[in-house]
Amino acid sequence: MAKIIGFCCNYTAQVPVDVLEKEGVIGGGVELRRLPCTGRLEVPMLLDAFGEGADAVFVAGCKIDTCHNKTGSLRASKRVRYAKGLIEELGIDPELLEMFFADRGSTGDVVEAIKEMEKRTEKGA
Amino acid sequence: MIIANQKPLGEIMDMLEGVRRVLVLGCRGCVAVCSAGGDKEVKILASAIRLGKGRKGEEIEVVEETFVRQCDPEYLEPLQEMGKDFDLVLSMACGVGVNFIADRVPGVKVKPALNTTFFGANLSSGEWKEMCAGCGACVLHLTGGLCPVARCAKSLSNGPCGGSQGGRCEIDPEVPCIWHEIYEKLKGFNEEASLETIMPIRDWRPSGHGGPRKRIREDLLP
Repeated sequence: MAKIIGFCCNYTAQVPVDVLEKEGVIGGGVELRRLPCTGRLEVPMLLDAFGEGADAVFVAGCKIDTCHNKTGSLRASKRVRYAKGLIEELGIDPELLEMFFADRGSTGDVVEAIKEMEKRTEKGA
Repeated sequence: MIIANQKPLGEIMDMLEGVRRVLVLGCRGCVAVCSAGGDKEVKILASAIRLGKGRKGEEIEVVEETFVRQCDPEYLEPLQEMGKDFDLVLSMACGVGVNFIADRVPGVKVKPALNTTFFGANLSSGEWKEMCAGCGACVLHLTGGLCPVARCAKSLSNGPCGGSQGGRCEIDPEVPCIWHEIYEKLKGFNEEASLETIMPIRDWRPSGHGGPRKRIREDLLP
């Protein structure tokens, strides 16, 4: 089972992962880490997530024009792009790290992100 | 400030071959301001090293530290003792810091994590541009404050070359011809006639011709 770590802000996924797993919406092995805003995300958090054994890592922030903190998700997306370059240099497929933009309060968008990352880990397996 | 870039991770990982304990040492001077070797970059590189080594199944202890500067002896002092505990100090300072550690801290193996590139200014967040070549013989008083040594691709002393077209340099249309800008700047002050005075052949000796340069101010010596 692939281990997927996702970083979400307070305004995206509202439903806890264990509920989604119980309902069969997503598979096991998913961990969501909440941040007040994805603008709080730092590059080492992404690298360390892979270091902890994640097969894939994603970030789900607000859509660019709806970020509660104006530019938080935009900043996060730039950091994800930077981290993609670093993991590629270390021999990890950069597709296994991704930024997603979700509607505020929409768990569905985050579920889609999880499914997409599950698909990508299967492709790489 | 001195501008630097992190070396490719592959090159850094090669330096860490066989290393079990490394100190990633940042500098809060120029390289922190240009986002190459300050506290944040130390954390990123340390995480990248742990990840890279972990993927190879190799153990490494990575310790993070940042000094105020690596180019002043008082700030390097703690490294005299601390450095002995590490197989390698990976310096995220500019080349000056790396050299200074190598000179001043015997018994400590130091290697660079950055490529030191130029003296530049911060145009906007994430963008730096070369402004000075450190040539040791400033002519900025003759050129409206714009440096033809650092900012002309050919470091010309007496006006543009034939490749200057429409105020742009032949090496790249994005690069302004600095001699065009010098002319426009002086014209704005009604001083363009000063450009008719031919600048003598440049004396490159202060630019490092005689080996490593040194500056002494007698009144400040201990």
